[in-house]
Amino acid sequence: MTTISFAYTVAAGRLARVRQWRRVVVALMLLVLAGFALTLMLGQSFTPPDEVLRVLAGKDVPGASFTVGQLRLPRAVMAVLVGMCFGMGGVAFQIMLRNPLASPDIIGVSSGASAAAVFCVVVLSMDGAAVAGISVVAGLAVALIVYGLSFRNGVAGTRLILVGIGVAAMIDSFIAFVLSRAPSWDLQEALRWITGSVNGVKLDQALPVLVALAVFGGLLLSRTRDLEALRMGDDTAAALGVRVGTTRIVVMLASVGMIAVATAATGPVMFVAFLSGPIAARILGPKGSLLIPSALVGAVLVLGGDYIGQFVLPHRYPVGVVTGALGAPYLLYLIIRVNRAGGSL
Amino acid sequence: MTPSHSLVAENLSAGYGDSVILNGLDLEVPPGKITAIVGANGCGKSTLLRTMSRLLPATQGRVLLNGKSVHRSPTRELARKLGLLPQSPIAPEGITVADLVSRGRHPHHGLMSRWTRHDDEAVAQALEVTKTADLSERAVDELSGGQRQRVWIAMALAQETELLLLDEPTTFLDVSHQIEVLDLLTDLNHSRGITIVMVLHDLNLAARYADCLVAMANGRLHAYGNPEDVMTEANVETVFGLRSRVIPDPVSGKPLVLPIGRHRLSGL
Ligand SMILES: Nc1ncnc2c1ncn2[C@@H]1O[C@H](COP(=O)(O)OP(=O)(O)OP(=O)(O)O)[C@@H](O)[C@H]1O
Ligand SMILES: [Mg+2]
Repeated sequence: MTTISFAYTVAAGRLARVRQWRRVVVALMLLVLAGFALTLMLGQSFTPPDEVLRVLAGKDVPGASFTVGQLRLPRAVMAVLVGMCFGMGGVAFQIMLRNPLASPDIIGVSSGASAAAVFCVVVLSMDGAAVAGISVVAGLAVALIVYGLSFRNGVAGTRLILVGIGVAAMIDSFIAFVLSRAPSWDLQEALRWITGSVNGVKLDQALPVLVALAVFGGLLLSRTRDLEALRMGDDTAAALGVRVGTTRIVVMLASVGMIAVATAATGPVMFVAFLSGPIAARILGPKGSLLIPSALVGAVLVLGGDYIGQFVLPHRYPVGVVTGALGAPYLLYLIIRVNRAGGSL
Repeated sequence: MTPSHSLVAENLSAGYGDSVILNGLDLEVPPGKITAIVGANGCGKSTLLRTMSRLLPATQGRVLLNGKSVHRSPTRELARKLGLLPQSPIAPEGITVADLVSRGRHPHHGLMSRWTRHDDEAVAQALEVTKTADLSERAVDELSGGQRQRVWIAMALAQETELLLLDEPTTFLDVSHQIEVLDLLTDLNHSRGITIVMVLHDLNLAARYADCLVAMANGRLHAYGNPEDVMTEANVETVFGLRSRVIPDPVSGKPLVLPIGRHRLSGL
């Protein structure tokens, strides 16, 4: 076989990988769409699709306008947006640090953003974009602290994770402390900041999350190739022309940014950032970038978790309780496996 | 073929944090030739390769590629001229051979650039010369050590650089695979004029395959030149703290080092 004809074989293999990536992404998009539609139709009562569409078109439909337009729509929109933020930001961290345990919700970044948000909302009675901004700053600060504390001639993954888990535990107890001293003690509110919840969200709260997803998500997507190269080790990536330090900073800023803004809106929906990447990797296989597939898996997790929490279980639970119950066994499994071999993503 | 590239380290110092590993080292890599670096564990061989390929900053002195400081060159531009295969690269879980090798094209692409015919040809050629074409749809993590090493070399080749630095390309390979890799690198050097710098631990293979031999000790060049001049009993003793006999290799005519330990000796 000549090199030229073998080049066609190589090209065919590459195109097959691209096509498979597209197929997976389209399938996940359909799944998100289906979840979104079901969230709009199902609830205490069933709303038929034509009524849902009329509400979405801005018509006044007796009965449905309130349940669909005021209750279900904001909930579904928020679930999709925060799910995508958690999914994409989480997998970017996991890829950058080459460890599935290095997810922002394990190493304290989400806790930091949540603590800032809970302090602003419960103690200072703030709301809106200011809370999101302060959460981003707090999330970044925690990321830097964890990074700094685990720095010793470079950052070893395991050390960073252990430091991160410790920092997360400290911050979580701070959250509990703030909530216990809050004048307007409210179980729903408390659960939001501890496990994450989309209960009672309003449509205008989704705007900052949408902006964060567009800006920070775009930034991450622009680094797709560099992130892929980082999976082969820092030295290999640098030898291939990746500016490792700059890429790290951009990826960290962007992931923390989108996760913190989402956390300020719904609280840290438990383990969605942690689970989405590995689930997407399992579905996709090694066929290309995980950023978009993982974002879509995140949206499915939050939509599905919220539906289960509301209507499938005997009592109503916020979405974070459901995703938390999903994530905990996987966390245990990973810790056992990493103890044995030192896993990577 | 007279290669038009050059790689020179001048008075180069580098290290990690406070510890100085390279200490005012000078090295002129002979263009179009194969250079082998030998030295004891921890003497700074990997550090030298990493500094020469700007993975590590120089604390003093400079590294010049074609007369330009590598530490000041745009990293992507540099990666089109100078390739490095690190001591322990990581294959992403489940990745196929063709996919991994195609990542060698990274420095030839910007944010928006599209994959071209030439990219596919470079990948195909890299797979063919390393005899990994038949493996191209296999997962890298299910290959043997020798196959995997050839795949990594293919990735570095797909990068299409004039210079290639390799950190211990033969470690973990059995003797026949070691020879296979070294023959492959020699072929590439002869057919394409690629300048090769590699760290080797097997002194005899280093002496046999290198045009130029570099012996390092304590972050400096202890000896540099023809294998015949560098691989002497005195140099082996200072660099490795090991007594030895050096005789002509009946196969290649190059120096052959016979280490002298404390046991199993006869007729000395
Ligand atoms: N990332 C690092 N941080 C701190 N010190 C390091 C680092 N990498 C290497 N060193 C130290 O630098 C010194 C030289 O290491 P280097 O890896 O260059 O040695 P080497 O000659 O390649 O050894 P080997 O033959 O074992 O590969 C060693 O003392 C090592 O401990
Ligand atoms: Mg080394």
